[in-house]
Amino acid sequence: MSVRQRKTATLMLVTLLLLSVILGCAKQENTPESTSTDGAANEKSITLSWPRDIGTMNPHVYNPSQLFAQSMIYEPLVSYKQGGKLEPALAESWTISKDGKIYTFKLRKGVKFSDGTPFNAAIVKKNFDAVMKNEKTHSWLGVVGVLDKTEAVDDSTFRMTLKEPYYPVLQDLSVVRPFRFLGEAGFPDDGDTSKGIKKPVGTGPWMLDEYKQDEYATFKRNPNYWGTAPKVDKIIVKIIPDGETRVMAFEKGDLDLIYGEGVISLDAFKQLRDTDKYVTKLSEPVGTRSLLLNSSNPKLADLRVRLALQHGFNKQAMVEGVTSGLEEKADTVLSKNYPYTNVDLQSVDYDVEKSKALLDEAGWKLPAGGSVREKDGQQLDFELIFDKTDPIQKAMAETIQAEWGELGVKVNLTGLELTVQIKRLRSNQFDLYFWYNYGAPYDPHSFINVIAKKSFGISETLSALPMKKDLDQQVHEALSSTDETKRQELYASILTTLQEQSAIVPISYIKKTAVYQKKITNFVFPANRDENPFEGIEIGK
Amino acid sequence: MISYIGKRMVAVIPIVLFATLVTFALIHISPVDPAEAYLTAAHIYPTPEILEQKRHEFGLDQPLLTQYMHTLQRISRLDFGTSYLTNKPVWDEVKARLPATVELALSSMVLSIVVSIPLGILAAMRKNGWIDMLSRGISYFGASIPQFWLGYLLIFFFSVRLDWLPVEGRGTWQHLVLPTLTLSLVLIALYTRLLRSSILEQLQETYVQYARTRGIRERVIMLKHVLKIAIAPLITGMGMNLGKLLTGTIIVEQVFSWPGFGRYFVEAIFNRDIPVIQCYVFLAACLFIVCNLLVDLVHLYMDPRISSKGRAEQ
Repeated sequence: MSVRQRKTATLMLVTLLLLSVILGCAKQENTPESTSTDGAANEKSITLSWPRDIGTMNPHVYNPSQLFAQSMIYEPLVSYKQGGKLEPALAESWTISKDGKIYTFKLRKGVKFSDGTPFNAAIVKKNFDAVMKNEKTHSWLGVVGVLDKTEAVDDSTFRMTLKEPYYPVLQDLSVVRPFRFLGEAGFPDDGDTSKGIKKPVGTGPWMLDEYKQDEYATFKRNPNYWGTAPKVDKIIVKIIPDGETRVMAFEKGDLDLIYGEGVISLDAFKQLRDTDKYVTKLSEPVGTRSLLLNSSNPKLADLRVRLALQHGFNKQAMVEGVTSGLEEKADTVLSKNYPYTNVDLQSVDYDVEKSKALLDEAGWKLPAGGSVREKDGQQLDFELIFDKTDPIQKAMAETIQAEWGELGVKVNLTGLELTVQIKRLRSNQFDLYFWYNYGAPYDPHSFINVIAKKSFGISETLSALPMKKDLDQQVHEALSSTDETKRQELYASILTTLQEQSAIVPISYIKKTAVYQKKITNFVFPANRDENPFEGIEIGK
Repeated sequence: MISYIGKRMVAVIPIVLFATLVTFALIHISPVDPAEAYLTAAHIYPTPEILEQKRHEFGLDQPLLTQYMHTLQRISRLDFGTSYLTNKPVWDEVKARLPATVELALSSMVLSIVVSIPLGILAAMRKNGWIDMLSRGISYFGASIPQFWLGYLLIFFFSVRLDWLPVEGRGTWQHLVLPTLTLSLVLIALYTRLLRSSILEQLQETYVQYARTRGIRERVIMLKHVLKIAIAPLITGMGMNLGKLLTGTIIVEQVFSWPGFGRYFVEAIFNRDIPVIQCYVFLAACLFIVCNLLVDLVHLYMDPRISSKGRAEQ
C-alpha cells in the first residue's frame, strides 16, 4: 500500500467512525409528544397514528376534520350503541308525539362544556340554528330535510318539530356531524360556524391540548366531563400518511395503537398478527362491499342474467384470496348487526352449472367455437369500473373477469379515479360497479333511502325491477312509519325483494382492524362506525 | 452582461404567462367539475342546487375568458384561492409548509455536494481503482433504487433495528438525517459520475499535459485548472435539480411523514383540491424557470466569454 493509499484509507476510516458516533449520539430524544406510560408525571397516555391531519375540529363541517377526533370532543343528544340500541347521551330522555312529528328532549342536568360553561337548551338551539343556516350542505342527512322548527322550551327541554314523520330522527342525531354541540366560546361573532370556529369547546370526555398541523395532536381529559372519566390521561395522535411507515413506527414502539379502516395493508396486518408480539383485532362488519348490476342496461334487466352472474363466481375463494380472510364473505347486502336486518334470506350460492343453465335459458348461447355468449347478434359483455388506486377492488375485478369469462361472459375492466367513478355512478353510466353501504348509525335507513331516491345511482341500478314502484312505496312507508312492527315487516319485505332480484350482489363484509401493544387492555370497537374507540381503554403494566 | 440579464428576465414573462394558461386549462380539461370536486372533498353530497350555488360562487358560470382574466389578476396578487379541503387560503397553506420542504431540499443538496465532489474527483484520479469502483457501486444503487423503498430500508435499519433515529416527523436534526439521505443518494449518484467523466475529459486536454510537463503538481492541476472547468456541467445539473428537489420531495415527505409542501400536494391530488394543484403547478413552473435562469447567470459569471446571445464567443 502506497503512502497515498494509506492516507485515503485512514481518511475513510475516520469518516466512518465519525459518522457512527454522530448517529450513535442521535438516539431519539423523547419529544414531549412521544412520552409514554412512564412519563415524568406518571401520565398514562396512548399514542396512535392517523393518516390525515385531524382538521379544524369544527363540529358542524366535514372534511378535513376527522370523525374519530370530532367524536372525542363533541357529543350527541342520543348515542348509538351495539346492535343499533339508542341510549341517552346529552339528552336524558325523549318523547315522540303520536303523529311522529314532535320530538321533545329532556337534557341531562349538570353537564358543562370543557370551559366550565353550562350545557342547556339555549346552546342546543344555537347549534341547531348554526347547522340549519347551511341546510343545503347537510341535505344528505334525512332529518335536515324534514326539520321544521326547533325550540328551547325551558333550560333543560329542547323540542324539534318535523314537517312530516321520519322515524330515523334519533339515528340521524347520533351521527358525528353535523348535530353535535359547540360551546358558546367557540362560536364566531356572526354565529355562522360554517366559516370557522373560535376554538373547539365541547362536552365530550376529551379536549384538544396541543396541535401542530400535519404533525400531531394531543388530547387530554376534560376535567368537567359529566360521564365516567377516561382511564388514560392523554391520547396522542401522530399524523403518518404512509401505511408502511405507520407499521414500522408501531414495531419500533413509537405507537401503541393502529386503528381504523384500511389504515394498514392487509399484508401488514397479517404479518403483525403472525408475530404474536401484539394484539390484533377485527371488528364486526362495518359495511358491505357489493357489486351493482345496473338493470337499466337491457342485458342486465333480465333477472336470469343477474342471478347467473351471482351464481357464477366463487365469493368465498375470492374473499379468502384477495383479503387473506380479513373480510368475511357476504350473503346478504346488509349484515345482521343493524336494526331490522335480522331477516331470513335465501343466499345465492356458487353454482357454475346453474349459472350456465340460467344464461342459456335467457337466450345467451355460446356460439360454436366462440368464447363469448351471444343473443340476436349481440355479445354478452359488460364494463366493470373500479377505483384504480384500490388494490382490493382491482384484484376482485380481475377475479370476476376470469370467472365470468369461463361462463362466456366478457368483462372489460376500466380503472378510474375515485371522483370519476362516483360521477359515473351518479349519472348512471356504468354496467358493473363496486359499491358500499354507509354502516352504523346510517344504516339501514340510509340504505333504503337511496333505493328510492334518484341521483345516488342505486335507484337507477334497480330501475328495471318490475316491482320498483312498490319498492319505493315501501321505502317511503318504512321511513315515515311510527309503528315499529309495521316497520320491521316493511324492512323484511324490502330486503327480501332485493335479495331475490340480485341487482345488488353482496361480496364481503368490511371490518375495521386494530393492532395494539399488549399493555393496552379493554379495547372495544365503537358501535358507531365513525366514533373513537377510547372509551374504557386502559393501560396495564 | 447587464443587457443579457435584462433580456433573460423579460423572456421569463411569457413563460410565466404560459404557465398560468396551462394551470387554468387544467381545470377545464379535467373530467371532474371543480364544484363537484369541492363538494366531494368536503364530504358534502352534490345535490343539483348546491352544485349550482358552488359553481356560481367559484365563478364557473362566467365566460372562459373572464375566468382566465380573473385567474391572472388573482395570481398576480399571489392569491390562489381557497383550498377545497381546508377552507383556508392556498397561499397561506403553502407558505406554512414551504420551509419544511426547503429545509429538506437544501440539506439534501448540501449533502450531495459534500459527498459527490470529493468522490467524483477521487474516482477520476484513481480511475478503475477501488474508490472508483465504490463510486460506481453507489451510483448504480442510487440511480436504480426507488426512493420510497430506500426510505423504508433506512427506517427499518436505523430506526426499527438499531433505534438510532426517529421513524418519522420533524423537529430535531435527527429527524432530518434519513429523509436527507434518501433524497440525496440519487443526486450523489448523478453528480459523482458527472464530475468523474467531466474531469477525465479535461485530463485529456493539452493544457493538462502542458502543465504536467511544466512540473506542476497533480493536486494543483486538479484543483486550480481542471476542476474549474469540469465543474460547469455539475452546476447545470445542480441548478436543474434544485427545482426538481423542491417539487420532488413528494415521495420522501410521504414516507417520513415530513410536513412539507409535497405531502400537501399529494393530499390535494387525492381530493381533487384544484386551487392547490393549480398553485403547485404554477409554482413548479416558476421554480424551474428561476433555476434555469440562475444556472445561466452562474455560467455567465464563471465564463464571461458568454455573449448576450448566450453562447461562447470564439
